[in-house]
Amino acid sequence: MIKNIIEVNKLERIYSNGIIKTYALRDVSFNIKSGEFIAIMGPSGSGKSTLLHQLGLLDSPTNGSIKIDTEDVSKLTDNDKTNFRLDKLGYVFQSYNLLPELNVIENVFLTSMAKGLEPQDYILRAKDILERVGLKDRLYYYPSELSGGQQQRVSIARALVNKPKILFADEPTANLDSDSSKDVIDLFRKLNKEINQTIVMVTHEIDEGKKADKIIWIKDGILDNSKNV
Amino acid sequence: MNKKDLKLMFFLAYKNIVKSKSTFLVIVAVMAMSFLSITFFSAIIDGLSYEFEDSMIKGQTGHLMIEPSSEESFIFNSNRLEKNIFKIPGVVGVASRLESNILITFKNEELGAPVFFIDPVDELKVSNFHESIIEGSFLSYKDTDEIIVGADLLEQYAPKDDTKKRFNLRVGDHVNLTFNNGYTKEYKIKGIFKTGSKFSDDKILINKKEYFSIFKKENISHKILIKLPSRGLEKEYIQKIKALGVTEQINPWETKIGMIKQFIGSLQITNQITGFIGLLTAFATIYIIIFINVTNKRKQIGILKAIGIKKIIILGSYIMQSFMYGFIGVILGNIIMQILLALFVSHPLAMPIGDVVPLLTTTKLLTTSLILILASIIAGFFPSRKAANDNILDAIFGG
Repeated sequence: MIKNIIEVNKLERIYSNGIIKTYALRDVSFNIKSGEFIAIMGPSGSGKSTLLHQLGLLDSPTNGSIKIDTEDVSKLTDNDKTNFRLDKLGYVFQSYNLLPELNVIENVFLTSMAKGLEPQDYILRAKDILERVGLKDRLYYYPSELSGGQQQRVSIARALVNKPKILFADEPTANLDSDSSKDVIDLFRKLNKEINQTIVMVTHEIDEGKKADKIIWIKDGILDNSKNV
Repeated sequence: MNKKDLKLMFFLAYKNIVKSKSTFLVIVAVMAMSFLSITFFSAIIDGLSYEFEDSMIKGQTGHLMIEPSSEESFIFNSNRLEKNIFKIPGVVGVASRLESNILITFKNEELGAPVFFIDPVDELKVSNFHESIIEGSFLSYKDTDEIIVGADLLEQYAPKDDTKKRFNLRVGDHVNLTFNNGYTKEYKIKGIFKTGSKFSDDKILINKKEYFSIFKKENISHKILIKLPSRGLEKEYIQKIKALGVTEQINPWETKIGMIKQFIGSLQITNQITGFIGLLTAFATIYIIIFINVTNKRKQIGILKAIGIKKIIILGSYIMQSFMYGFIGVILGNIIMQILLALFVSHPLAMPIGDVVPLLTTTKLLTTSLILILASIIAGFFPSRKAANDNILDAIFGG
């Protein structure tokens, strides 16, 4: 039996502005199994990205719990969350968010360096993953010298270099042209199949969502059970 | 914090600096200019103070001055005392002087002036009168009918709009001097001196032999000036002179410069105030520049946190950068300062009191360097700590 890698239970995220409370997420519960490729979809402002940020420990829920790899991450301290993100999670952002002062290989091996790997090991890992995303001839380019699609592939390589349990992607194709978008989604599919990588991706493109194993629909901060089957 | 954290910290700091060369150069230049603005003015004031003191030492006091004991008007047996003091190892020169006031008469005009009776040979080793001759030449041992006149007594060297009564004398002119015992004698002007010190340039110098012939007293003096190898040795040599059995007053130069000391004290207070304001200004400038730099890196800091880089590493890397800004800026400032100092040594600033060479003590140099480096570290610490403590999403997406 395939175990759950993510268990979300009664998750709430409330933004308070004085006495006014806005529910960005309300009573959200679901599980994701290890090795699944999940798409989170919904209209703008539905809470997709908020949900992804909670799962990715970039933000803290107001109520409810999240278990990742059996650990209740909602109880972790800030420092523990940082270590957890480094060890077990990988991120791909909509606007790539590469560090402009680092070249491609440095952007990729940074987290391996932070984990304390020896230079020969983290350089080898970074080269290997960059070759897999098709950027072996761009190792020493700076982000500003790459196209959007190439930058996003560097971002994916960075997210994967430490072999994370889960790869989170927040609208990874939103800034890309259709060819680059297809490349990225195909790459995700390939990684999911070849190395059984668990992927949780927010997207608003139904075609991309269809390439995932499952779509979690969300609307107005709650799961849209009319679409979730 | 372990070795790998430090390594990563250094790596991030290094990459930030190398990739943002123009920012780095601007900040380093500001640091260097701040260093210069603080130290250069201070060095000029210190140089000026030193020059004031030096002009007093060279013209009026020597490093040590022996004066008659309180109940006496003269130092008796002066010649022997001079010889004994000169035998003390390290003593550079010893010169005795007698002082009086005279009435100068030239072409029916009269003017009172103070006079130093000097031994022209001894004086060469102690004072700077011989180096300050601007017309004619200095007295020789044999010159008993000739005198040297300070520039402040002469019209042609008077500052503009100065209404003090002066003579229009030239080298070779003859003047009558009337001494306070009523004796009058004609002397020829052999030279004119200008040390730049108001306390020296109003004097007339006459061979000491003349005092003995005019006042019929010998082997006495009012003051014995002693030149030492350098400043700071006064206490040591006072003990050595006392060991000779000297009962007269032996005073270091600091106790004999009166008004000048007050003036220099005021200058130093001004110097400290401007130095403090300069430091504050430099600190504010550095803080603002580094603050803007770190604030512009807020997004990068958010990304680093998001991908799992520890807060302490991020903070450390920015503090390291700030340290580098400060350190390299101060080094650059020091290099420029040393070049300027070398330039001013070969081309001193011409000031009314004489040539002034900016003076920068090691203590001031180190203090200013350390304070500026510390200021840059503090300037880097607060904004980067704030950014490192920011919510990740706010830092990345702006909030």
